[in-house]
Amino acid sequence: MTELERLAGEYALGLLEGEELVSARARLAREPDFAAAVAFWEGRLAPLLDEVGGAAPDPALWQRIVAQIEHEPGAELVQLQARVRFWQRAAAGAAVAAVAALALVVLTPDTAAPPPAPLAEPLVASIPLGTDAPRLGVTYLPERSELLISASGLSADGVHDHELWLVPPGGEAQSLGVIVPGVERRVTLPRDLAKRIGGGSHLALTREPIGGKPANQAAGPVVAEGDFSAI
Amino acid sequence: MIRLAQGDRNALEEIYRATSVKLFGICLRILGDRKEAEDALQEVYVNLWRRAGRYDPERASPITWLATFARNRAIDRLRSGRSRRRAAPVEAAALLADDRLAADEALIDAEREARIHLCLDQLEDRQRDSIRTAFFEGATYAELAERRAVPLGTVKSWIRRGLARLKTCLEAGE
Repeated sequence: MTELERLAGEYALGLLEGEELVSARARLAREPDFAAAVAFWEGRLAPLLDEVGGAAPDPALWQRIVAQIEHEPGAELVQLQARVRFWQRAAAGAAVAAVAALALVVLTPDTAAPPPAPLAEPLVASIPLGTDAPRLGVTYLPERSELLISASGLSADGVHDHELWLVPPGGEAQSLGVIVPGVERRVTLPRDLAKRIGGGSHLALTREPIGGKPANQAAGPVVAEGDFSAI
Repeated sequence: MIRLAQGDRNALEEIYRATSVKLFGICLRILGDRKEAEDALQEVYVNLWRRAGRYDPERASPITWLATFARNRAIDRLRSGRSRRRAAPVEAAALLADDRLAADEALIDAEREARIHLCLDQLEDRQRDSIRTAFFEGATYAELAERRAVPLGTVKSWIRRGLARLKTCLEAGE
């Protein structure tokens, strides 16, 4: 490894300070070789950032950003916007593929074993949150009685929580739990509750005080709804 | 004065909605303080607005690029001294409880991800730990030496030998 490559690695990791940092920043601006070496390290190390969990910023932050840029001409964002969209679709596809791969593993015939019981298909519900805001994705895996809830589009306001409900036709709504904004959760359902989920099952999202619906009170207002259907 | 065109603002807002949870997690991990992390995040999107043209679609996925950008802004903030150095290592409770990554937060670069983990695993413990602490917490050489209670030269030699092995291993995978 050359000295330039080593310094680039030290800079990319963020180890430098004082004069060394100032001099590395100057080289980054002036020397394409050094900039390329820094880009090598940044690109190879970046996947480690997947280990860092997400967190929802203050909902007011977006307005602060708008206030700061309001009177400035913007950069060309259309290409980046398109790429972010593509990435989101690819990610959603990857989630569906993961479910499909799981089903494939279970379905692969094992000649030594008795034939597997017929497999119930996963069900998905996509619950829109507002007009152009993201969706709450809910996937139900019948053979494991598991619910995967992806709430990356929901942000915490610090005052409310959201609770997801299974609403059987004519029956009483059953809580599927409080939604944690910004994350994907895996919830194993009790057998009697899991039994009641099928294609067409109705889901509702309500706004509740922090911690979910208080035991002795009625559920809060329904803020979003959706139905389960086969993939 | 030029008024911000609505269409451009919608583009930025869409990018913000899709990426701010992930990028805020990164800023919070490095800065360890919500206020500081929010200021860093604001800088990220304001900078993006001013010079998004720096994004090269040939080189990285947009989220990888934005994640690196956010980490760099957070580290700049640490180094600039505008940020009080946090007392506690990480405000872990501030990060969302579930450590499972949302599918659409993943960087979608599975090959590179596997490679960096494989290569880090081949390092000696102290090399790997120092490199990881620098990467995730923004620790400098001096801070690493202080935390480990070893001379500065010792930490430098761990990291430099670690980086050399890492580079050889990473390149072997390409």
